[in-house]
Amino acid sequence: MKGCPLRCLWCSNPESQNPWPEVTHRDSVCNKCGLCVEACETKAISTDDHGVHIGRQLCVRCGKCVEVCVPEALRFIGREMSVDDVFKEIARDADYYQDSGGGVTVSGGELLYQPEFTAALLKRCRETGMHTCIDTSGYGNTAALESILPYTSLVLFDLKHMDQLKHQELTGHSNELIMQNLALIVARGVPMIIRVPVIPGLNDADDEITAMACAVAEITKTAPFNLLPYHRYGMGKYKMLDQEYKLGELAPPTDAKLQRAKEIVESFGINCEIVL
Amino acid sequence: MTVSEEIKKVKVMTDRLQKLKLEWEEATADVYVDDTILFTKSWKETEGQPLDLRWAKAFAKRMEECSILIRDDELIVGSLTKFIRGNNVLVAMKPREVLAMVEKGQFDRKLSDISTTNIDPEDLKLLKEDAEYWVEHMPKVNYVNEALKEELGEGHFDLMFDRGMVFEGRAVRVNPDRGLFQGWGAFGGGIAQPNARVIHNGLNHIIALAKAEMAKMMESGAGLPGPSAAAFRKYNLLKSCIVSCEAIINFAQRHAERARDLAAKESNSARKKELERIAEVCEWVPANPPRNYWEAVQSLRFLHLACWKESSERPEVPVGRVDQILFPYYEKDLREGRLTRQDAAELLGAFWLKIRETENLVTIKREHRAAPGTLLPNVTLCGRDEKGRDLTNEVSWLVLEVMRQIKLSEPAVYIRYHESMDEEFMLHALECNRDFGGGNPAFLNDKLGTDRYLARGVKPEDAVGWNASGCLGYHLDCAEHMAGMFSLNQAKIFELTLYNGFDPRTGKQLGLQTGDAATFTSMEQLYEAFFKQEDYFADILRKHYFIWWSSENLHSPMSGLRCAMLYEDCIPSGLTSREGGARYPVCAASWIGDRGMTDIADDLAAIKYLVFDNKKVTMAGLMEALKANWDGQEDLRQMCLNAPKYGNDDDYVDEIFNYVSLKTQEILQSRPDPFTGEKPMLFKGAAAGHVTQGASVGALPNGRKAGTPLNDAATSAMPGVDVKGPTALINSATKVPHAWEMAGHTHNMKFSRALLNTPEKLKKLGSLVKTFCNRGGWHIQFNIHSSGELLEARKNPEKYKNLLVRVGGYSAYFVDLPPELQDEIITRTMHEVS
Repeated sequence: MKGCPLRCLWCSNPESQNPWPEVTHRDSVCNKCGLCVEACETKAISTDDHGVHIGRQLCVRCGKCVEVCVPEALRFIGREMSVDDVFKEIARDADYYQDSGGGVTVSGGELLYQPEFTAALLKRCRETGMHTCIDTSGYGNTAALESILPYTSLVLFDLKHMDQLKHQELTGHSNELIMQNLALIVARGVPMIIRVPVIPGLNDADDEITAMACAVAEITKTAPFNLLPYHRYGMGKYKMLDQEYKLGELAPPTDAKLQRAKEIVESFGINCEIVL
Repeated sequence: MTVSEEIKKVKVMTDRLQKLKLEWEEATADVYVDDTILFTKSWKETEGQPLDLRWAKAFAKRMEECSILIRDDELIVGSLTKFIRGNNVLVAMKPREVLAMVEKGQFDRKLSDISTTNIDPEDLKLLKEDAEYWVEHMPKVNYVNEALKEELGEGHFDLMFDRGMVFEGRAVRVNPDRGLFQGWGAFGGGIAQPNARVIHNGLNHIIALAKAEMAKMMESGAGLPGPSAAAFRKYNLLKSCIVSCEAIINFAQRHAERARDLAAKESNSARKKELERIAEVCEWVPANPPRNYWEAVQSLRFLHLACWKESSERPEVPVGRVDQILFPYYEKDLREGRLTRQDAAELLGAFWLKIRETENLVTIKREHRAAPGTLLPNVTLCGRDEKGRDLTNEVSWLVLEVMRQIKLSEPAVYIRYHESMDEEFMLHALECNRDFGGGNPAFLNDKLGTDRYLARGVKPEDAVGWNASGCLGYHLDCAEHMAGMFSLNQAKIFELTLYNGFDPRTGKQLGLQTGDAATFTSMEQLYEAFFKQEDYFADILRKHYFIWWSSENLHSPMSGLRCAMLYEDCIPSGLTSREGGARYPVCAASWIGDRGMTDIADDLAAIKYLVFDNKKVTMAGLMEALKANWDGQEDLRQMCLNAPKYGNDDDYVDEIFNYVSLKTQEILQSRPDPFTGEKPMLFKGAAAGHVTQGASVGALPNGRKAGTPLNDAATSAMPGVDVKGPTALINSATKVPHAWEMAGHTHNMKFSRALLNTPEKLKKLGSLVKTFCNRGGWHIQFNIHSSGELLEARKNPEKYKNLLVRVGGYSAYFVDLPPELQDEIITRTMHEVS
């Protein structure tokens, strides 16, 4: 699902933040022909030694540049699809779900941004016996979440920080709503995995990890933690969207640091895995 | 401790094996000349004798008079050459080519070349003299070519290897000068192997059977209507069988003597004991049934080596189902406390190193090679028996462990995968695959492999006896198998269709006149023209096959060793499998293959999409661009490249693929096999044929440039265009049962190592194998991106658009990462296999 209310500094999928289709530019396949510059009626496109740039304020997303781009370096990310369209795509891989014990995961962006669609899609999948999973930041309308949970087999729930102000600083919003939704999922008894992105210097101090584990342990001990070490692989995508990547110099967490975080979580009697 | 834990604990690379491997790594490649000299000497001595017997006597001389080596610390013995990295060559089979290499000062090998300056000057002199002798004395005519000329006309050669290249196949080269025999030689590599039953029963048993059959002939007649040559041929084949078996026993005995001599001189008591054990083993096998695991491994070594030697013209000799062959001995020894898993692993590792010693001298010009010149000593594991029981055993585990620890690129291991296979074993196999990189082990669909034979009337107990052979082939251990000798270059045929049967490269009218594609106004017209061309070439190919095999058999010997390996059927019939002596005369991958099918699907889709559906370009306009090899037409080429492409689960193009693939199979099977009268089984072969065949094909509507490689394997997408992920690629490949009639139907997939770093992720890969097989796929292998390839992807991102990097909840294409992050991934990918 494209569109997310949060703006996490470390986000590695910036293309999923805005809820509308966006033009992206892949330098790796661009042939530098300049046809896009000519085609753009709002003069949003410029070029320099570093490649093509799209002025996002000027861009009206008309797609004229995409049309003229022969090597398809310019492409739209995001398109409107019906529940039917998406389900058909999913059904193509039904064999694999069956053989692997896998299923469908709806992620984003933030799926709570488009709750009716998500609920309808998951309902469709459930009806055919598929395992359904949602991957959510937890930031969304609680009633919306409530409407989705009956069709959900598993929730992957992100937890980023327990301090409200700090959460606001890192993601653009406080975590109040997130914690409320976490409680709802526990109350509804839907299996859940808590996923914590481990961002060096931003949320990986002992007390920060402790606070998260403690908060979860108070309401459930059956939801395991997954620690997701910070990485920079999203960097290239920021460039494709003419956005600035704010954590450019940050190095991934060390193994020792991850182990330490894992031990802290486990000390609360919660299972914890580092996901590499 | 579970069995798997026990096995994972073994240390294959003992000090001994580390030392032996190091010696191999540090050895320089050499050319072995004694063998060819002995062959020539024998051939001179036996002038005038029956051909089959001459062949057997030459084999015997090569086995009985070659030098015997037992290197320090070796446990498993028997060397094909006297070098640690020896290249054997039988000059009589290719004298002109050898002479040319001597004169050029360089021997071509699989990967690198050997300068003649590295070779002992005396050896080089002998080799040159041998080559000169054979150039002088080889048959003055090429029987195969003369027969082809007689039946199909001089123009037929324009279709072949060095010219039009509509047909691929090394033996059909226009000016081959093959030497003494003009085909694969008597033994027919790629198809014969140490038969398990021969190992179990011992060669003395086979000698006794052959002698009894000869006695029976004398006592009660040959059962023929008159004084036909067949009786004497049978008599001589049986005699050849005995001569060959005795030669191998003699070879083993000489190893025993050598070991005894060394033991007498040995001061180290531990080594002395080992040498005495080696002597004891070699005195007993392969003449007699092995009494224990060590003897079984040694017997397998001797017989594999013998088959290799006999088959040196095409030395693609599989090792076979090693786990099935060795398990009874392993199990008994273990149970009786005479063997530890550690010792079993070391012996198997020692055997692996012996296999790796032999290399292949390739006399085919580099640019004409269809296979990369490997010896293909394939090992097959697991599978099910006729009652559906899983045959995975401890030796299957042990083989994987040996392979994983010893890190040699050969032998390649194939796993007969089925649903009831132990999940833990499968995970271990995938771990090996990941750590190994190069698609090893590969997975074959056990059910499909057996079902194909059952559908052809093979008895269930025989149908389950198959193993991987040659490059991408498979065969029964009781059948003849003519692996993919003749493969139609479909991409070339498609190109000819576009040009009204005319070949722009050679300037000749190679095909039928089916109309100038520039004037076509519908897809139907194009399909019709293409299928007409296919039918035309399939008909020629069938005649070609008939003439080629017949005339080869007319002028080549039958192999006594091949008769021995298939003794249950060949001794009573007095014929080798090549002449119909096997239980199932031709019952595996048969005589025809195709290549370029996914290329054609993309070609047709591009034409449908751009010319007929969206009218972006006219047929004439497209033809102009193709003629110019896209020169000045880059925009059109990009449009073609971005038209719907096979490999993305896109029905637009997949329906075209299914249609042309099945229709082609129908055309190729519309005429019966000219020998058996049965429907030919198809084969899509040649692991590297996409390079050689692509060289002759001009620009194609899929956006491909002239002379560049075609898509590899059977169901690979054009490089970089399958951007919808692995399940989409498998879906495209398995929408209809392409592989049911077509063996060798290989599906290559590439993954980066980082995608497979946990058991959970490997299990997902395992479930891909499962779904692939359930959907009717045949052969799937996973290549793990090497650091070299990633470097290549940095340089040529357009070819690697689909290379995925996935971590946690993130995924992106490798080519889009900034250089420093690409470097990071490349560093993580480093892993070497020799």
